[in-house]
Parts: sequence; C-alpha cells; structure tokens
Amino acid sequence: MAKMRPGVITLNGFLGDDRRNLFDIIQDDELSLERLGKTTKEIADRMNYFSKASWESFGEEIMVDEHYLVSTDVVRGKLPCPFGHPGIYRKAITTLTNTKNNISIRWTSLNIHLIEAHGFFEGKGSTFRLDPHTLCEAIF
Amino acid sequence: MIVNIIQDTGILTAVSTILGILLVIAQRWLSNYGDIKININGKRDIVVKGGDTLLSSLAEKQIYLPSACGGRGTCGACKCKVSEGGGPVLPTERPMLSKAELADDIRLSCQVKVKNEISITIPNDIFNIRKYRSKITEIIDYTYDIKGITFQLLDGDTIEFLAGQYVQLNTKSYGKVRQSVSRAYSVSSGPEHKDHIQLIIRLVPEGICTTWVHNHLKVGDEVEFTGPYGDFYLRDTDADVIFVAGGSGKAPIKSMLEHLQVTGCDRKMTYFFGAKALRDLYLTDEMRAFEKVFPNFKYEPVLSHPEPDDVWDGKKGFIMPYFKDAIRDANNTEAYLCGSPGMINAVTKSLKELGVPEEKIYYDSFG
Amino acid sequence: MGITPFVLFWAAIFTSNILLTNFLGMCSYLSVSKEVESSAGLGIAVTFVLTATAGLNWLVYKYILVPFHIEYLQFIVFIIVIAAFVQLLELIIERYVPALYYSLGIFLPLITVNCAIFGVSLFLVIRNYSFLQSIAFGAGSGIGWLLAILMLAGIRNRLKEKLVPAGLRGAGISLVITGIMALAFIGFSGIQAVQ
Repeated sequence: MAKMRPGVITLNGFLGDDRRNLFDIIQDDELSLERLGKTTKEIADRMNYFSKASWESFGEEIMVDEHYLVSTDVVRGKLPCPFGHPGIYRKAITTLTNTKNNISIRWTSLNIHLIEAHGFFEGKGSTFRLDPHTLCEAIF
Repeated sequence: MIVNIIQDTGILTAVSTILGILLVIAQRWLSNYGDIKININGKRDIVVKGGDTLLSSLAEKQIYLPSACGGRGTCGACKCKVSEGGGPVLPTERPMLSKAELADDIRLSCQVKVKNEISITIPNDIFNIRKYRSKITEIIDYTYDIKGITFQLLDGDTIEFLAGQYVQLNTKSYGKVRQSVSRAYSVSSGPEHKDHIQLIIRLVPEGICTTWVHNHLKVGDEVEFTGPYGDFYLRDTDADVIFVAGGSGKAPIKSMLEHLQVTGCDRKMTYFFGAKALRDLYLTDEMRAFEKVFPNFKYEPVLSHPEPDDVWDGKKGFIMPYFKDAIRDANNTEAYLCGSPGMINAVTKSLKELGVPEEKIYYDSFG
Repeated sequence: MGITPFVLFWAAIFTSNILLTNFLGMCSYLSVSKEVESSAGLGIAVTFVLTATAGLNWLVYKYILVPFHIEYLQFIVFIIVIAAFVQLLELIIERYVPALYYSLGIFLPLITVNCAIFGVSLFLVIRNYSFLQSIAFGAGSGIGWLLAILMLAGIRNRLKEKLVPAGLRGAGISLVITGIMALAFIGFSGIQAVQ
C-alpha cells in the first residue's frame, strides 16, 4: 500500500524490510494470535489501559499493577492511518517494561488503532513492529 | 506474410491510438472547468482554475487555510464555511463534520472541488498567514535531542506574529522520503525580530521532519514555512503568571519572555521547567538572565529522575507540589501551559484545586 | 445460437454463472468478499462495465476485427477497449457524480483486470452471439457475478473463523465455499443449457 512506504507518513514506513504481501502479514499475525488465544480487542484494550495509566505522568515511568514500568511521551502533531480512512491519531509513545520477565516493548497510539481496527502489527523490520508473541508476553 | 503482419500491426496501433486520443480528449473536456470565481467573506473575489480542491486553489492565491494532513481529508483542520457552490457533501467529508457544522455549511476545503462559482467565509486572521522562504543562519545543539534553528527570511520579507504562535515547516525530499510533509513548531524567538524566526525542534523517533532537521539541514539551506498559526499568546493583563513547559515546549515561553523584555513587564512570573535529568536542561543561562531583567521572574527547573552522577541540588520530583508557593492570589493568576495533553490535564487539575480560574488557564496542547 | 436474449440473460445468471460455472473473476471476488457493502458496490460496477463492454467489443469485433481479418488480435484489442472504457467511466463519474466516485472509485481500476470481463467478450465471439444477445449475456453475467460475491460475503460474515482449521482460513475456506455454491448451482443446469 502506498501510504505504508517510507517517507509518506513515517520515516521508515510500516512494512520494514518484509517482502510479504500486506494481507499475508496480517493473516500470519492473525494465526499467531489464534495460537496465543488472544483477540485484537483484548490486546488493544490492554495497551490502552497502560497508555492511559501513564498518561498524566509527564513522560515519567510509573509502576502499574506492581510489576509493569510504564511511561508515555507525547509529541506535537497527529498522523493519519495508512489504511486511508478518515481520522488522525496523536503521537503518543508508550514504553513498557515487564519487571517479571524483563521484556521491554514500545508502541504508539497509531499502533493501538492498527491492531484494533485492522489487525496490523506492522511488517518485520519496521521500527514500531510489535511481534504478537513478545507483545502478549510483555503485557499479560 | 510480412506485409500482413505490418498491416495488422498497423490496424492494432491505429485502434489503440484512437482510443488513447479519445481518452485524452475526454480527460481534457471532463476535467476542464474553466476559470471560476471564488467570493471570500462577501468582500473579495478571486479567480482560479477550476477542478482543484478549494484548499489548493486558495493556496495558489496565497490564502493558506490550516492543514495538518496535506489535503488528504484526515485532519479536519481545513474546515471553512461554504455558503454556495460547494456541491453535495462528500462521503470523505462526513466523518469529520458534526451535525451542527453540516447545518452551518461547514465543509472540508481539501475535499470540496471548485467546479462552479463558490462563496466562502473564512476568519480574517487567515489573511495574515503567508508562505515564507528562508535560509538557515544558525543551528545550536541545546541538548542531545533538541536543536535551535534560526531561519532568516529571504527577499527582504518580514513576518508579524504573536509570541506563542507556531509555524508549519515544509520538508524537502531526502533519502527514502520522496514527498514533502508539513509539521508544526512554535516560534521561540521574540516577535520584535521581524526578519527571522527561531524554532526549537526535538528529534522524534520515526519523525520525517525532525529527522530531516537533525540529520540533513545545514547552515545556508533554504527552507519554506507557512504561518503564523495558533491562538496561544500572552494576554495583556496585570495578573500573575505561571508558565509550565518542558522539553521543546520552552519555545513559545522563550518567545513570550523575549517579547516582554522589549515591552517591559513587572508582573510576577514563574516558569516551571519539568525535566527528567540534568542532560535535559538547556537555555538555563538565558532564563537566569531573564531573572535579572524582570523585577519579579523566577525560573524553576525541576528534575524528576536525576542520573546518579548528576550534580543537582535544585528542586526534585514533579512540578505540581511547588505551585502553591508561586501563587499569591489564585484569582488573579494566569497560567500558560505548553506540552503533552496528559501533562496539561494534570497541571490544570492541580491549578484548579489551588483556585486558579479555569478560563485563565491557557494551553498549547501537543496532541 | 437460437436463444432469445431474454432467456440468455437468465441463463447467464443461473445455469451458466460466469463465476460459479466458469470460475472467472475469482481474484477480486475472493479479496473483496470480506465485507458485504464493498461487495455490493463492486458487483454493481462490474455489472455495468460487463454490459457496456460486451456491446462495445461486439461492435469492435464486427466492424473492425472481421473486415480487416485481424480476429486473432481479439485478445489484445478487447483488453484495450475494456481498459479505455473503464478509464472513461472513471472520468465521467468523477465529474458528474462525485459522491459515487468516492464510494465506488477505488474499485473501478480493479475491474479492468477482472478476467470475467475479458472472458465474456471472448465468449460472445466463440458462441457467435448477436448484438442483443451479447448485451443480455453481459448484463446477466454481471448480475450473476454480483450474486455470487454477495452470497460469499454474507456467508463469510457469519462464518466463525475460529472453527475453521488453521490451514484453511481465508482463501482456502472461501474456495471450498465457492465450490459448494457451484455444486448447488449445477441444480439449475437442467433448465436451459447454453454451453
């Protein structure tokens, strides 16, 4: 898709160096989700939960639920969704570290929308790609 | 045999060419709308080539409606009132317009195509927004991820703006980036300097514009921007002031302070600069200098997570507990906040609890 | 053939469905049938283009290809005509019905490469249809295609993907469903054979 390419919406685009077709990327990640037993809604809700919890913390790290270190930083401006429908998303970057298994992961508001509305976790090699396994291990 | 092949190829070519020509004619005829008149605010008429969007037609005539998404119909910033001639509301506009707006003839100017005479109403200060060509004369590294860039206007141009407003910088293509994007940055220099502006820009991961600014721009490069935009500016009263802005949010505050330095100001002002560690502080000397210039200005940097080897004996933690010492009469205090929506929420709550009236809290929200 | 256009129209929808009997036009059928609304939009656009290009290509065949003895070039010429027509249609819709352009617009270019369109043009040459028969056949095929994609979209909507084995999800199960629909449509074949 044209809007996913580097330099159109974000610097490096949403597909990384993945050679697969967009639909294949989404389908493969969908299969991973089936194996993990989680739906996109559950994942998006959980990500929103952490982002909201750290929203007012000035970009500082706070401890949520005793073992999640979360911080959210916001920069000015909004980005449209690469799938081309109306609506823009703020540039909020949430960084989470699960102190139990030491997995650290980072996502943006646009990531949450892409997962919830399009089941899209970005292509392999993309800067903000969220691997479903790593993501679930970190946030659940 | 060869003659046959040539003949058949010839007919095939003829058929294709005829179809091609038909299409070109159809395109010209169907997409040609001629010259169309646009009436603005009932006062001024401009004539544009029909067929383009209202947003780009106006931009051709140097009238710049704000747009954050570059005309793709996703940001809703380009709304304007189209009293006549806009045609039916398009499906690409509907998600961005409320019922009240639709009833009031508000449309997305980046989606409305100018096909027949059209009458629009736009706010008067739009006329003050212009495109400027500039050259970079200075790049200062303030911190590990923040740079201050000075843009000198070319062609003897001057710019009028209020301290606190922002401009939209247009990037040029570089590396993998083939298109130009436009991003907003608050002006950090005072409005008294009409021939140049300074912007404070922080590098954002995956950011198209900030990466361009940090990694590709050099002194002497030419850059285009439009502006000024925004309604974040210092109100001319004698109320006490609390400024809250961290990181690159210092830009509009610096602009306001430089402006006040010229006009003179004896209001009680306190600027809380929240940062994580010592390496996030910058322009500290300039702020301390302001403390000497103004009779009643205090600069309060607050570090929330100083590094183990940071030498810091100033304020620590979050900024909110320090507010009450800076407020002497909550009812006569204004607050100017610039930063993330989360920070603004938290600070507004805290200020309201201390008695600062909500209508005196002004903010420039990033998100 | 001695079939009246009217009967041909109905036959093209049921007994000789371009998609379920001839398995043409599968790519956009498989990918767009995820949503009922887009399926309906695409189906209607395909019907319109099919009817028009069937007529156009019949005229091109009779008045250009045959007189100049270049019938063997029909493959190239038909495709060029279809592409040009779709392009022209896009321009007209954009100018006169912009609302329709925005909801349908993206599907129009997709239609050019739909093999059902090309297939219909080839069939009308092979089966020697008259002008009216071609139009009826084109319209019927379009509606038959619309019917097939709407049915698949409806079924996919209700299908609980969780129950489908992992390897068959997506295109796999859609093809199986299409096969079952095709089997069902064989039941119509006794009514009137056209091929």
